[in-house]
Amino acid sequence: MDLTYTADEDAFRSEARKWLEANVPSAPLPSFDTAEGFELHRDWERKLYDGRWSAVSWPVEYGGRDADYLKWLIFEEEYYRSGAPGRVSQNGIFLLGPTIMEVGTVEQKARFLPSMASSEIIWAQAWSEPNAGSDLAGIRSKAVRDGDEWVITGQKIWASRAVWADWCFGIFRTDPASERHKGLTFILIPLDLPGITVRPIAQLDGDTGFAEIFFDDVRVPVENTLGGEGKGWGVAMATAGFERGVSLRSPARFTEAANRLIGLWRSLADPADTALKDAVVDCWMRAEGYRLHTYMTVTGMLEGRPIGSEASLNKIFWSELDVRIHELALQIIGPEAERLGGGEHERWVDGFLFSLSGPIYAGTNEIQRNIIADRVLQLPKGV
Amino acid sequence: MKFSFTDDHRLFASGLRELLDRECTPGHVRAVWENGSGHDEALWSKLDEMGVLSILVSEAAGGFGGTEIDAVLLWQELGRACAPGPVLEHMVAEPVLVAGGMPIDGPITVWLDGPYVPHRQEADGGVLTRQGVIRGSTFQLVDSIDGGRRLATIVDGATDLFEFDDTLLADQLALGAAAYLIGLSERMIEITGEYARQREQFGKPIGSFQAVKHLMSDALLKVEFAKPATYRAAWSCATDAATRSRDVSMAKAFASEAAYQASRSCMQVHGGIGYTWEADLQLFMKKAWALMRAYGDASFHRRRVADAVMS
Repeated sequence: MDLTYTADEDAFRSEARKWLEANVPSAPLPSFDTAEGFELHRDWERKLYDGRWSAVSWPVEYGGRDADYLKWLIFEEEYYRSGAPGRVSQNGIFLLGPTIMEVGTVEQKARFLPSMASSEIIWAQAWSEPNAGSDLAGIRSKAVRDGDEWVITGQKIWASRAVWADWCFGIFRTDPASERHKGLTFILIPLDLPGITVRPIAQLDGDTGFAEIFFDDVRVPVENTLGGEGKGWGVAMATAGFERGVSLRSPARFTEAANRLIGLWRSLADPADTALKDAVVDCWMRAEGYRLHTYMTVTGMLEGRPIGSEASLNKIFWSELDVRIHELALQIIGPEAERLGGGEHERWVDGFLFSLSGPIYAGTNEIQRNIIADRVLQLPKGV
Repeated sequence: MKFSFTDDHRLFASGLRELLDRECTPGHVRAVWENGSGHDEALWSKLDEMGVLSILVSEAAGGFGGTEIDAVLLWQELGRACAPGPVLEHMVAEPVLVAGGMPIDGPITVWLDGPYVPHRQEADGGVLTRQGVIRGSTFQLVDSIDGGRRLATIVDGATDLFEFDDTLLADQLALGAAAYLIGLSERMIEITGEYARQREQFGKPIGSFQAVKHLMSDALLKVEFAKPATYRAAWSCATDAATRSRDVSMAKAFASEAAYQASRSCMQVHGGIGYTWEADLQLFMKKAWALMRAYGDASFHRRRVADAVMS
C-alpha cells in the first residue's frame, strides 16, 4: 500500500493541469442540452481531442494516451478542478467506446473509435422502451434481417443526448420467438436515416436532454451489429458495468461539489447551526469515501481483479450523495433557491434538479439494491 | 499510488481467520460472557504464539516490527470473530510500554477517557493511561453490554508516570475499533444472509422479498464504503501523515455508523429470534454497540473531521 503518487503520476497531473489552465473556456458554456450549447460543447471536445485529452485511457492509435485507470482518475480530478465543461461525449467515450474495444471487430474499432474520440460523431444511448425500463429485458423493438440489412421498427425512450446526437446505440429483439434476455442484438444506428423520428422530451429542468426515438422500417447494414447476433444482452451488460462502475461519475465530480458546498457554508451559513455543520461535513466525508473506494477499485482492476456487481454499490452511493450535497446547498441558500435560471446560485439550483435524476438513470437504485442482494449477498431471486 | 494489500497481508489475515474459526466460535464467545471472565486464556496464548499480539512491537524487542497497515486486516478478523478480551488494547499498548522500558508481564489494557476502564479484570499487565501505567490497582466491576469487554472503575491504584504520544495511541485505538466494527458488520450480514436464505414465510425464503433485500443491501453499502476509509487511516498512521487524525476520525465515524445500521437491519431481518439471548447475532451486535461508542463515537469523530476541513 502506497497512497502517494509516483513521479510519473505527478508529471501527468501537472501536464493535464497546465493544459487545462491554458484552454478551459473562461465563461461556462450554455447547457449541452440546447442546440447552441451542444455545438459549443462539440467544439470543446474537439479541442480536448487535439490536445489528446478527450479519451486519456484509450490506446494512442485511437486518440488516447494509453493512460491506466489511476491516471484517468488523476485527469478527472484536474478536469473538475479546472471547471471545464461537462462531457457531451460521455455516452460514446465512456460507455460505447470501451465496449467496442472489448467486443468490436478490427473494422469497427477503426471506423468508430477515432470519430468518437474527436466528437465528430456524438452518440446517444437507446436502451429503455415505454414498457422496458427497470425491466429492461422486456424490450420489444425489433430488427428483422433482410439480406445484408436489419429492418428496425419500434420505439425507444429516455435516450440521452438523442435530440442533437449523430448516432445511437441500443439493443433490439432480433429473434421474434425469443423472450427476456435472449434473442437481443446490439446495433449501432445513424440518427439521420429515413424512418427515424426523434421527439424531444422536456426534462424536469426544462432542457431537452433526452428524447423518444421512433423507428419505422429503418434499414441498417448488418455490419453495424456489435458483439454478434443474439448476444446483445451480454454486450449491453458489459457496457452497463463500465457505466455503473467507475467511468460514469468520477469521484472528482463529488469532491469538487463537496468543497464548493463547504465554501457556500462558510460564506452563508450560521456556524452555530451544528446540525447543518454535521450534515455538510458528512457530505465531504462521503465524497472523500467515494474517492478512496474508487482508488481501491481501480488498484484492484490494475492488479487483475475486475470490477463486478460492486459497481451497483458505487451507483447508489454517488447518486444519493449528489442529491444530499445539493439539498444542503439549497437549504443554505434559502429563499434565493426558489429562483430558477440566472442569479448567483443558478448552478446549485440546476444541479439540484439534475441530481434528482441520478437515483433513477443507469438502472434505478432499487434495481441496484436487488443486484447487490442477489449477486453479492447471494439472497434468493425474487422478481 | 497503490491502494491494496500485499499477498502477505492477506495470507496473515486468512491464517488468523482459520485460527479464530476454530478457537473463537460463537460458543467460545458465549462461554466467556457467561463465566464472567471477559477473556479466553487459551485464545490469548494462541494469538501470542501467532505473533498477533506483538505485531506493532519492534523486531529488536522481539515483536513483528509491523505497522498499522499490517494490523488493520487482523483487527478486522478479530472483530469478525467477536474476539473477547483486551486484544486491541494490548496490541497498541505493548509498543508504548516497550519503548518506555517497562516490563510486559501480562495483558495490558488502555484507559483513555471516561468513567470506566475496559478489560481491567483481565489486564494483569497493567492499565495504560495518558499519563503512564497503573499496576496492581483494585477495581469494582460494573455490568456492561459486551460480555467480552467488561468494564470497571478503579478504586485504588498508583500511576507510574512517563511520557509518550497519547494522541497516536488514541488514533490507533479508534482505527482498531473501526476495523473491528467492519469485521463485526460483515459477520452480522453473513449470519443474517444465511438466515434469510433458510427462513420461509408465505411459502418462500424471506431473502427473496425486496423489503429484506434492500435492508441488507443498504447495510452492506455502508460497510463497503467504511473499508477504504479505514485502510487509508491505517496508512496515515503508519506513515505519520499530516492528516492522520482526520483520516482516523473519518474511518471511525463511517465504521460506527455502518455497524449500527448493520446491527439494526440484521436484527430486523431475524424477526423475533433476533430479540433473543439464544441467537448468536446478539454477541456481535453488542460488541458493535460497545465499540461504536468506544474511543470516540461517530458524532465526536465527525466533528473532528469538521474541525480539520471546515475551519
